[in-house]
Amino acid sequence: MAPDVTPPPEIICSGLAKTFDGRTEAVRPTDVTFHAGQTTALVGPSGCGKSTLLRMVAGLEAPSAGQLLIGGMPPAETLQNAALSIAFQDPSLLPWRTVRGNIALALSLARRPVDDAEIDQLISLVGLDGFAEARPAELSGGMRQRAAMARALVTRPGLLLLDEPFGAVDELTRHQLAQDLPRIWEARGTTTLLVTHSVTEAVLLSDRVIVLSPRPAEIIADIAIPLDRPRESGIERSPDFGDLTDAVYAALSRGMTLDRPPLAAQ
Amino acid sequence: MTGLSLVHAGRPARGMTARGYGAWLGVLGLLLVWEALAHVVSGAFVLAAPTEILAYLVEDRGLVTRALGVTLGNAALGYVFGNLAAIALAALALLWPRSERIVTGLALLVYCLPLVATGPILRVLFGPGAGPQITLAALAVYYTTLIPLLVGLRAAPAGWFDLVRSYGRGRWSELVHVRLMASLPYLFAGLQIAAPAAFLGAMVGEFTGAERGLGVLTVRAIRALDVDMTWGVATVATAVAILAYVGLGMIARRFLRDAPPVILAAPASDTVRDSGSGWKAAIGVTVIALAGWALAFWVFDLNPFFAKGPMDVLDALLLAEDAGATRGTLAVALSETAVYLLPGYFAGLAAGAGLAMLLVLVPVIAGTAMPLAIALRSVPIVTTAPLVVLLLGRGATGTIVLVAVMVFFPTFVACLHGLRQAPGQVLDVFDSFAAGPVSRLVRVRIPAMLPAFFAAARMAVPASVLAVTVVEWLATGAGIGSLMAMSASLSDFDMLWSSVVLVAAISALGYALVGSVERRILRVYAPEQLT
Ligand SMILES: Nc1ncnc2c1ncn2[C@@H]1O[C@H](COP(=O)(O)OP(=O)(O)OP(=O)(O)O)[C@@H](O)[C@H]1O
Ligand SMILES: [Mg+2]
Repeated sequence: MAPDVTPPPEIICSGLAKTFDGRTEAVRPTDVTFHAGQTTALVGPSGCGKSTLLRMVAGLEAPSAGQLLIGGMPPAETLQNAALSIAFQDPSLLPWRTVRGNIALALSLARRPVDDAEIDQLISLVGLDGFAEARPAELSGGMRQRAAMARALVTRPGLLLLDEPFGAVDELTRHQLAQDLPRIWEARGTTTLLVTHSVTEAVLLSDRVIVLSPRPAEIIADIAIPLDRPRESGIERSPDFGDLTDAVYAALSRGMTLDRPPLAAQ
Repeated sequence: MTGLSLVHAGRPARGMTARGYGAWLGVLGLLLVWEALAHVVSGAFVLAAPTEILAYLVEDRGLVTRALGVTLGNAALGYVFGNLAAIALAALALLWPRSERIVTGLALLVYCLPLVATGPILRVLFGPGAGPQITLAALAVYYTTLIPLLVGLRAAPAGWFDLVRSYGRGRWSELVHVRLMASLPYLFAGLQIAAPAAFLGAMVGEFTGAERGLGVLTVRAIRALDVDMTWGVATVATAVAILAYVGLGMIARRFLRDAPPVILAAPASDTVRDSGSGWKAAIGVTVIALAGWALAFWVFDLNPFFAKGPMDVLDALLLAEDAGATRGTLAVALSETAVYLLPGYFAGLAAGAGLAMLLVLVPVIAGTAMPLAIALRSVPIVTTAPLVVLLLGRGATGTIVLVAVMVFFPTFVACLHGLRQAPGQVLDVFDSFAAGPVSRLVRVRIPAMLPAFFAAARMAVPASVLAVTVVEWLATGAGIGSLMAMSASLSDFDMLWSSVVLVAAISALGYALVGSVERRILRVYAPEQLT
């Protein structure tokens, strides 16, 4: 295997905030550090601002206030080095390219040589054996998300941003992916931010779960997940795991009833 | 015809289905009725029977084939030049986004030039040869390729651009990896509409004083009151135009994996957000157009007898001794034209939208009507102008009908498509309230149809001006088209240039007027279209 191209960065957000069109406040000023080589899960109610936070880290959305440093550099620099990958909530595959072509596109965009063997390996890892030459229109929603996941992994990014990567995948496949995929980024020591609606998934996959309030997003809990890795299947039924999910659920419901001062501009 | 809102019909079914047989039987029946009717009215010199048309074509096959070859050659050259120009303009607008408004504005203005008068002017500028026909063919196609191409270059979902940006790549990668491929279906759709349009442009160019070509034969046939020849030439022109359209459709389907259902209309959205900058753009376009005109005059050192600059036109219209008389003549001609144009335009819009709504209430027919309408829309109605004149006379009726038909097909196709665009889930919600078909039509489908309807109404403005001026030029003997014909043959170039400028300006203003009504109405009924 080729050496990792970029070392995993640490991400420091200070006072990071986003307000759309001066009206819709999506992310309240936030101070948080995502540690290098760790997987951090972000959970919160729908529409609270998770994707917005992720897109700011990816350099796709300019913060309206505050500062963001990735490995000590502003996001624009990280982008220039093709050091991050994002798997979008909507898979965004190009319809005229095959699954293989879509994955290869990430390599050419990142100015890396196209390695067919590695692409095949990833295709098989996300369970798309036999679909390498299929076009997105011939895939189901879940299959498309898995292809997008393979595309995100193929450039061996130091920073991996996953926005509900398994949203449209069935329960069983989801379980399998949750077993297989983390091994890749754990072995590479990637810094990973994972947005998910599944509390179980958040606890299972991450080193730390950050619970966000309803819009505008504010951190209401920051829960460390001190479970050993690799996490075998069946760990969900252990008492420790149950305690952790309970803590996340409790924080989520606290967020829903949070009594906050009315927003100045809304 | 120049309908811009275009819908891909599904792939034709392979093999001969029962419906396929039915269609052929229908055509056969139509031919029989036509034949019988022609014999009944044979004394009236209006309608040639299919057998008579065939007999004429066989007898004069040498002449017709040679003329067809000439016209096809001119059309092909104009097609290539016009489309290359469209691609170059789209590239300019893409690479330098601030230029887009000016580019599209100038393109519209040039598209609004009345071809029938541009023809004779080009003829004196070019001298003898095929230059004017080729130029007119190019002028007839570039706009209908430019607009869909601009839409297509922007049609990709935001996520695709985010993907490119997330790897730190910029506009060049966006163009190479996303925009070019995403715009292909739109480009092909434009190229397909352009094929019959180029043929039409070449023929109109030949109407206005060429030596050879199908257009020349048409003029000769009309002058000689040769019914068989008029019908024969029109039949060949129509058949070739349809074949070109169908042929390009087949080529497009080879290139494109699947023809996505797209509606191709210049979006109103750009001009929607702030009408203030719309005014600025309009003024900018006018200034640049006038400056370019004056500059061309000066650079090419044109003969001032037949080439007129902006000052000459201003002089003829306002300052010269006989300016009052010139204005009077133009006003009379324009008011005569308005009598043909406005009823035809509104009748075409009403018939197109009305029939589309009717068909949606009777969905069984809509499935069949759509492919038929798309095919008929490709017929260059103007090439059949001589027939309409023969059938309905040289008076108002024939002209109004022709304008209406010209407007009808693109409107009908666009509206039918728009009506079927109505979001299925919204309709389901209405179903769950047991709303009747009329209520669904009024509350869901018509609002969904409005954007397509207005896009068609806008594009129909230059198209209907083209139709009315061609018929007036060829046959009616009244209106601005006839005035231009007369000025051309009398070498009254002051009058000719003044008419061209006026017609182009009125046409562009009409387009802008429909656009502003469109904005007002969409703001109320379909605000989501205005983003
Ligand atoms: N480009 C935009 N312009 C204006 N408002 C936006 C934009 N993008 C997001 N928003 C608003 O910001 C808020 C947060 O959106 P975001 O997509 O970040 O939510 P989310 O937490 O990812 O939700 P979900 O879990 O449903 O994906 C929403 O109220 C949304 O309407
Ligand atoms: Mg989201």
